[in-house]
Amino acid sequence: MSTDVSKMPLFDRIFKPQEITLENGHKVLRPRSRMPLIAFCVLTALYIAVQVTGFDFKIILARGNQLGKILSQIFHPDRGYFNKVVGPLLDTIRMSLIGTILGCLLGLPVAIASSSNINKNRPTLLFFRLVLAIMRSVPTLIIASISALVFGLGTFAGTVAITIFTLGIVAKMLFESIETIDMKPYEAMQSFGATTLQAFWAACMPQILPTYLSHSLYCFEMNVRAAAILGYVGAGGLGILINERIGWRDYNGLGMVLLSLFVLVLIIDFVTDYFRSKLS
Amino acid sequence: MIEFKDVSKTYPNGTKGLQHINLQIEQGEFVAIIGLSGAGKSTLIRTINRMIDITEGQLIVDGTDVMTLKGAELRKFRRKIGMIFQSFNLISRSSVINNVLTSNVPDMPWYKVLLGIYSKEQKLKALEALDKVNILDKAYNRCDELSGGQMQRVALARTLNQNPSIILADEPVASLDPIMADMVMSDFARINKDMNISILLNIHHVDLALKYATRVIGVRAGQIVYDGPASMVTQDVLNEVYQGKKIPTTENDPTGAAK
Amino acid sequence: MSVMEVYENRPRKLWVRILIFCTLLAAVWWSSNGITFNGIAQKGAEVASGIFHGLTHPDLKIMFGTTTEDVPFLIAQTIAIALLGTVIGGIVAIPISFLASTNVVPKGIAYIFRAVILLIRTIPSLVWALVWIRVTGPGAFCGVITQSVCSIGMISKMYITAIEDLDTGILESLDACGCTTFQKIRCGILPQLSASFISTIIYRFDINLKDATTLGIVGAGGIGASMLMAINSRRWAMVGSFLWALIILVIIIEYFSTKIRARLAHGRQ
Repeated sequence: MSTDVSKMPLFDRIFKPQEITLENGHKVLRPRSRMPLIAFCVLTALYIAVQVTGFDFKIILARGNQLGKILSQIFHPDRGYFNKVVGPLLDTIRMSLIGTILGCLLGLPVAIASSSNINKNRPTLLFFRLVLAIMRSVPTLIIASISALVFGLGTFAGTVAITIFTLGIVAKMLFESIETIDMKPYEAMQSFGATTLQAFWAACMPQILPTYLSHSLYCFEMNVRAAAILGYVGAGGLGILINERIGWRDYNGLGMVLLSLFVLVLIIDFVTDYFRSKLS
Repeated sequence: MIEFKDVSKTYPNGTKGLQHINLQIEQGEFVAIIGLSGAGKSTLIRTINRMIDITEGQLIVDGTDVMTLKGAELRKFRRKIGMIFQSFNLISRSSVINNVLTSNVPDMPWYKVLLGIYSKEQKLKALEALDKVNILDKAYNRCDELSGGQMQRVALARTLNQNPSIILADEPVASLDPIMADMVMSDFARINKDMNISILLNIHHVDLALKYATRVIGVRAGQIVYDGPASMVTQDVLNEVYQGKKIPTTENDPTGAAK
Repeated sequence: MSVMEVYENRPRKLWVRILIFCTLLAAVWWSSNGITFNGIAQKGAEVASGIFHGLTHPDLKIMFGTTTEDVPFLIAQTIAIALLGTVIGGIVAIPISFLASTNVVPKGIAYIFRAVILLIRTIPSLVWALVWIRVTGPGAFCGVITQSVCSIGMISKMYITAIEDLDTGILESLDACGCTTFQKIRCGILPQLSASFISTIIYRFDINLKDATTLGIVGAGGIGASMLMAINSRRWAMVGSFLWALIILVIIIEYFSTKIRARLAHGRQ
């Protein structure tokens, strides 16, 4: 049995597969297990990581009771504080609602431009994909703090940050689903004289609309959680309170903020689940 | 009228799709193109509305040199030519009538396309097209609830809705069972007679081709090896088309083999 | 039926559409009331052009320097935080998710553990970080602990799905061979779970890496803290090099994570 050496993976060329000869003379090649190599790499990486981060379990054992104290205060929320939570809570919903809607609307054309089966122009395709990758790789809080510098502190900056963040995610999920749709109706539309956009809209849109809407709902869910912390860098919403309460070590107040957020997230999950079940 | 003048098609990988095709098809003819898979039947059909570009020669459809068309002109030209596909190419999630209405899209302003608004006249015209292929009662069903034969009729209605003067059909009955295939072919024949629309179709079922078409073109390796009325197609002709044998033999029934 | 009759009997969906449209419009109107656009801040244009300038002229000295202030070390630290956090979270999540699977333990116990998982998931990672800082003090260690805790939530949720999808027919056949409980777990359960567990951990590593940059902002180590400092002190060249490093890192990790997970799911082709 001869195997073409040049086509073998590098690993098999270094660690030659073991040849097993059966009693009846048949031979079979057993590639060497990659497990030891992988395990060695992972363990080395972990060892380096422990060194770099100064990981020390003793600190947790020694000071773990601190966490218990804080958590127990968080679980006894200060009910009186709710009045102050309502405003920022509504702001958080507003920011995520507008941000989601804008991001999803803007995400659609970008997704179309990033789908290799619709956009046949390679340079623009790569350009849009690169822009999307950049948008997704910059953390939301960094986007929010930059937009807080540009648009001033407040909800507007948060809305901009959420829009950008949503655009990146929706467009990525959407172009992945566009690339798997049935292109035959699109071909048919082109055969009777439709332009690329007309054909896309009439033949592909009905196919991706349910996915698009469910992606949007998913993003809305995620954005409510994300919007809740944007205030930490001054972009409005619950984050301002979170930052403030922790600064003052008022963990009962923090508990109230988190409880409101928890209830809000539960309600929104419930509502989006309902709409999603309607979609399918 | 469709006129091929010494048309050749060489694919970028060097495959010769068509070689020196000369052909004239008058308005209102019903032409069946037969031949083995890969013989160039699809290429021949698809060059007519320029879904495939030809590399040599001249192709004139209703007085227009097809290869000179660009962008908007080409799209306007394609409006006159309907096309039917083997796999129907319908939007399976949409309703039947919405599929038929898509053939109006190229002539509509962008905001109407965006919102999917069709006028009452357009809807009535689409329903009439569905009526012509006897599938009116399914108009508001979703496409994926239909059988294969019904879907091909919807595709036919979509094509009729654009008032074509020519209908190109690329293996229209290949995915249908024999009874459905016969019904769809009779729809084609009726449309051909009643509305004087030229019909060109690729077909593997020789018996159906001979039953309904008025003219048969046999293609082998990118060349036309038979062109004449359906009534003149003999076993020898079929042998030449399907086996490349010039000498007549009576063994091997190619009609059976082709199915 | 005639064409006219069919047309008259068409399903009418216009009202549904108008209703959805109006609801959306009302939601947007209500939301936009709360969002005030105060114009671009005085220095806004300067910031925007600064960032653009930073991206086109990144600070190369920081980019390839070797001190603990420079990009390579910070990136390594960020990766280290994400790696340790994911591995610890992934290991701790194993017992928790077995205890929360209805096909392993009685429903009552499973629901208690599910509630714990839900609680962990609800508290935003940023808050976890701020709380843990009180325990560990600022630094990379805090980031590791925070990520371990936060990862448990999502990882357990995905583990549970894998555990509840277990094919128990294999256990029966192993029983038939006369295997002990330990042998059944080793030969019947582990091979079924390992691929999806590893895939979950890699997916979470991908997320944690992005999160680790965020955590730095509150002082939990990694590249985030230096980046926010550079932004606030308007050293755009530095911001530019941090951003580039981050973008490249995330793109590379995302690429490999997708590749490895595709291979785990479908095998080598």
